[in-house]
Amino acid sequence: MLALRLTRGTHPLVLARRLLVAAASAGVGFLLLCTLGYASGHPAQATGSVLRLLWCLVPLAAAVQFAVAVARTDPATRPRPGLFAIGLGPVRLSVLAAVSTAVSTTLGSMVALLLFLHLRGDLTGMPFDGRATELLGAGTPLPLAAALTLLALVPVASVLASALALRARPPVASSPTAPDGAGDPGTSGAPSGLPWGVALTAAGLAVEAYASRGPAGGSPFPLPGRLDATPAGVLAGWTLTAIGLAMAGPGLTYLCGRLLQAVRPGAVRLLAGRVLMDEARRIGRPLGVVCAVLSGVIAAAALYGTGPRPFGPLTALGAALVLGCTTATLLTSALEAKQARARTADALLRMGAPASALRGATAVRAGALLAVFAPLTWTVAQLAALPLTAA
Amino acid sequence: MVAPPDNDVIWARSLHHSHNGSPGLGGVSVGVRDGEILAVTGPRGSGKTTLLHCLSGQLVPQQGEVWYNSVPLHTMGPRLREQLRRDRFAWIAPEPQLVPELTTWENAALPLLLRGTSHRAAKKAALEWLERLDIAALAKKRPHALLQAQRQRVSVARALTASPSVIFADEPTAALHRADRTQLLRTLTTAARSHDITVVLATHDVEVAALADRAVALLDGRRVSTVTLPAVSDTEGRSACSLSV
Repeated sequence: MLALRLTRGTHPLVLARRLLVAAASAGVGFLLLCTLGYASGHPAQATGSVLRLLWCLVPLAAAVQFAVAVARTDPATRPRPGLFAIGLGPVRLSVLAAVSTAVSTTLGSMVALLLFLHLRGDLTGMPFDGRATELLGAGTPLPLAAALTLLALVPVASVLASALALRARPPVASSPTAPDGAGDPGTSGAPSGLPWGVALTAAGLAVEAYASRGPAGGSPFPLPGRLDATPAGVLAGWTLTAIGLAMAGPGLTYLCGRLLQAVRPGAVRLLAGRVLMDEARRIGRPLGVVCAVLSGVIAAAALYGTGPRPFGPLTALGAALVLGCTTATLLTSALEAKQARARTADALLRMGAPASALRGATAVRAGALLAVFAPLTWTVAQLAALPLTAA
Repeated sequence: MVAPPDNDVIWARSLHHSHNGSPGLGGVSVGVRDGEILAVTGPRGSGKTTLLHCLSGQLVPQQGEVWYNSVPLHTMGPRLREQLRRDRFAWIAPEPQLVPELTTWENAALPLLLRGTSHRAAKKAALEWLERLDIAALAKKRPHALLQAQRQRVSVARALTASPSVIFADEPTAALHRADRTQLLRTLTTAARSHDITVVLATHDVEVAALADRAVALLDGRRVSTVTLPAVSDTEGRSACSLSV
């Protein structure tokens, strides 16, 4: 009940973030129900159905990542000295976060179910009744247990992930009394994932190039819905590349910060670079994920964008979900970093630091990251698409 | 509008301020002379911090006037007040309020860097002051590796490095033990006197106030001549509090 009471009093922006989580959950739930509808409509094509279900894992992962990021920035679940003093420690707070995540994701799943039934034509009385009966496999009864299981996937995964993520947060005990300026010593030092990330990205690209040499004729890598055989090699290559980019993200961000503050920096460059170095872990991981997703999208557009019917509505929904969730996660992480530095920014303003200097530092950070990650994304995308288009 | 006296560097007249309705200041007038160390004394909650915020241009009082060197602060826009804080004032808070990402000397040099001083000159000035405050050996460490007393000395060094005209120190020694407290205050007052810096020092401590040239006592947001609270009776206020709670 405390979770609901805290929700009622929160700022509209926080509620908007939760609504976005609900929307993401609704999208993923809808995709999962669509695969179920397809499977029950086409019992002969079991392989195609499984393939579709597996493709749904990508938006699912993106939605869960977003839900965790929102739970981390939620002011209701932030460690608070007042609540800590009355016995609401990290454990209870992670329970609170789990409850509010569960509420928003379950809401999304319900909306997905209603929308799905409505578009199938099972619920009538509203516009667009049964407009997509064919696509969603109407006419065959929907297995209830399977539908509920699929709909429960997003809430359960998000709740578990956010509870675990908040449990792992350092205990609040020191923070109410710790003087500011005494930052967490554990966060300093370079992130160590960069070599691994580079190696994995290179390996992924190599695997993909090797696998796509294979059978001549036909698309070497079909999107879901085209019932060719999917070469596992290409998929494994793309996955490896994505994991590699996500691992290299923090290290690259740290390097960006290091370069920014090098060679006699002024106040703006000094602040921008050092903050980037300290926030490398928080910002770098989602940034790497966004980079991987964008490169995937660019490669896919290069591969399939020229065809007569590039992609279907469900593929578009899935792609939009993945893109939206990863971008929103990145923005939420940036917000989390900003919240964590609010007291320092206050102290700087009290000293008379012009607000434009702080904004300038933020702009320099964003510009540096863009300058490094945009070419990287483009290069990886071109390299990923090269063997497939050349074949 | 009355023109302020010439020898006052900061001059405030009948300041009234309330925080969202909670009373803060109720008509405080105060003049700070050039180069003096003025102690603002009073118990917690008597409006010392609010007064310092008003005098340093961080808050605009709801009524009353604040003048700095015959320039009115209460009519200035936020940008001009910001510039004044950057160029002429320095602030020492009860907590060090250092930037955790920067090393000790960078923290001390930050006001100069914000003014656009060259990197080399800022570093030189910061290291000089760190040396005088006996923390030059820690110049390359981050704040989290320092003791609380050392961090507070860094924040004093940051205030002095900027060579301001007025330093506002709001309970600078509240979180320190007595030995650290004495050393910090002695350094601050000595440096202020030798460099002709005006200091406005808010404190609830009588010993600390004794280091100042002059003291202004506040009680419940008003200026009083002496702070005398009712003596504690033997019954611990039992007779006064007859509410049954």
